[in-house]
Amino acid sequence: MTLRVNRRNFVAGGAALLSLSALGTSALAQEKRLRLLWWGSQPRADRTNKVSQLYQTKNPGTSITGEFLGWGDYWPRLATQVAGRNAPDVIQMDYRYIVQYARRGALAPLESYMPAKLNLDDFDKAQIEGGSVDGHLYGVSLGANSAATVLNTTAFKEAGVDLPTQATTWDEFARMGAEITKAGKRKGMFGIADGSGAEPLFENWLRQRGKALYTADGKIGFGVEDASEWYDMWAKFREAGACVPADIQALDKNDIETNTVSLGKSAAGFAHSNQFVAYQAMNKDKLALTNYMRVKPDSKGGHYRKPSMFFSVSAQSKAIDLAVDYVNFFVKNPEAVLLLDVERGIPESAAMREVVATKLDENGKVALAYVSGLGDLAGKLPPPPPAGAGEGELMLRNIAEQVGFGQLSPADGGKQLVTEITQILARG
Amino acid sequence: MSNAMRTPAGAISVERYQGAVAEGRLRRLWNANAPGYLFLLPWLVGFFGLTLGPALISLYLSFTDFDMLQSPRWVGMANYVRIATADPKFSAAMDVTLTYVVFSVPFKLTFALLVAMALNRGLRGLTVYRAIFYLPSLLGGSVAIAVLWRQLFASDGLVNAALSQFGIEGPSWISHPNYSIYTLVALSVWQFGSPMIIFLAGLRQIPQDMYEAASLDGASKFRQFYKITLPLLTPVIFFNAVVQTIEAFKAFTPAFIISGGTGGPINSTLFYTLYLYQEAFGNFRMGYASALAWILVVIIAIFTAFSFLTSRYWVHYDD
Repeated sequence: MTLRVNRRNFVAGGAALLSLSALGTSALAQEKRLRLLWWGSQPRADRTNKVSQLYQTKNPGTSITGEFLGWGDYWPRLATQVAGRNAPDVIQMDYRYIVQYARRGALAPLESYMPAKLNLDDFDKAQIEGGSVDGHLYGVSLGANSAATVLNTTAFKEAGVDLPTQATTWDEFARMGAEITKAGKRKGMFGIADGSGAEPLFENWLRQRGKALYTADGKIGFGVEDASEWYDMWAKFREAGACVPADIQALDKNDIETNTVSLGKSAAGFAHSNQFVAYQAMNKDKLALTNYMRVKPDSKGGHYRKPSMFFSVSAQSKAIDLAVDYVNFFVKNPEAVLLLDVERGIPESAAMREVVATKLDENGKVALAYVSGLGDLAGKLPPPPPAGAGEGELMLRNIAEQVGFGQLSPADGGKQLVTEITQILARG
Repeated sequence: MSNAMRTPAGAISVERYQGAVAEGRLRRLWNANAPGYLFLLPWLVGFFGLTLGPALISLYLSFTDFDMLQSPRWVGMANYVRIATADPKFSAAMDVTLTYVVFSVPFKLTFALLVAMALNRGLRGLTVYRAIFYLPSLLGGSVAIAVLWRQLFASDGLVNAALSQFGIEGPSWISHPNYSIYTLVALSVWQFGSPMIIFLAGLRQIPQDMYEAASLDGASKFRQFYKITLPLLTPVIFFNAVVQTIEAFKAFTPAFIISGGTGGPINSTLFYTLYLYQEAFGNFRMGYASALAWILVVIIAIFTAFSFLTSRYWVHYDD
């Protein structure tokens, strides 16, 4: 709904239009022009635009225009552009949607460009696979990322509660949360966010129990018992005052600004590691990152290094070569990588990780240290979610709210979640 | 035809004569109206290109399965069958929307009429007040106001701060499923400006001498309102009711902003249009969403037709 184009963008776009009208729509002009589309905030846009400018100065005669939107508005826009045969050349793509777009022929396969034009030799192998669908490479990962717990260390200290460690279990964490709430050092602050409707958290918890959200063939990967136990665990947290009540949690719109930690409603909340810089910028207190809690002291961690986002090239693009070159520049040029920092996640290229590590500020280091320090907590990347996963996520949250507001028992909630998700997947 | 066959040779046939006259009239008509049509052209292009065309395409799409990436696949009535028989979210969305219509329209109109009557009393600086009261309607549809509303009705918002002065601890109005829809109703009532302006115009049409005669006969203010103002205002009330009902069915922005596009908590703000949007752009089911849109068209048509049919029993036209 909100299209944000900053002044520089606007001027660049205007300049591109002018030069286009000067040249006419000759094939030459087409080959030298790139359109970019990504989701994210203004800081991300500034970094991206700087890289585009750098690319233009190194490749005279090319012109690159970029547009960005918020996550919610991004997908309608992209789908409409693709349907209207007007797709941007370089598309920021998410793990959730890559299969959908790739299988429907919207993205160009990139493996034929490797390694001459697209050099991903020192990439983590798993992350290259993460961008592949049916044996073709459709997305180049822009950074690694993992789900994480955000802690307001100041609030913990005030309440006299130690920070959780890598070994902390959910039971212990709930006790900590209840203590913080009881200490009541800040008006309206509870221990932890209510994570019962948060999909990454539920997935992590399932993986620790040896289950999954979805199987590789796109079926539901957990049972009624798992789901009921999950809702029940959070119901007990709520009762004990360990987490925020349901009407506070419902304020969370699943973004950084409305997370209960940002709102000052809880001392701990749930996020992604590449968001840490933005979280810290929004909070006066000192924040820290840690992993999700363990189900049992000896259980394996359910984390994984997720490609935070990809760059894909449109199959409709008239300048695929140029687009591939730009993407390669984006992930492999040291100057570009320094401009980008870890705002999109930790670089996948080992050499670029080293480049960026030397220049990171304190907040960037926190994110880097967190992702590289996961150790045995990180497991295999799950298969890309099937179509309908977006609806499944809403359903998890919807039922979590019904349980939270006392309209549904945890047992019935579990039953309903499994039924609904099975139906959603069958519909496709 | 038979007329023409009887026409003697050399004479002009009736058809040709009439044709020539008609052609001449057409040309004259065209000459006289061409500038008009020229000025209308942008609207005509807009209407056919941006309204009628897309509407017909969406009617076609409602019988298909279309994910916007591949070409649409014909599925016949399947979308409509699913809406009617196997879509709990459809009934949830219908429920929310009807609640919204039933509460917001009467409250908004009553409020608008009260303010219009207050403003009708020859106030000094009337135009300023009119502008001020109209302002929320101009701003109301905007994202910023919906965000402001979020702040007002949050658990630590202004509304609860005011309530706490009286020792009442209010809930988080916007994020509790029992109340959230009513905060949206309140937002809509607050945007009473456009019906208010129309009421004001209607009130101005009522001849003052009727009131003078009534007060000479000793009729109370309330009786005057009930016997004169209300009956003479019925055409305006009718117009406002129809327009506002249609607007209420189409409401989207406040729910989208306040719930973050989820329609939550627990579908309590899942407006029909929001559900339609989720299906179209969230789940890439453009065909299904088109079917939902056409159901909404039919529902609004039924409501409007019903208003028109009942109107003759309560709407009084002076002449």
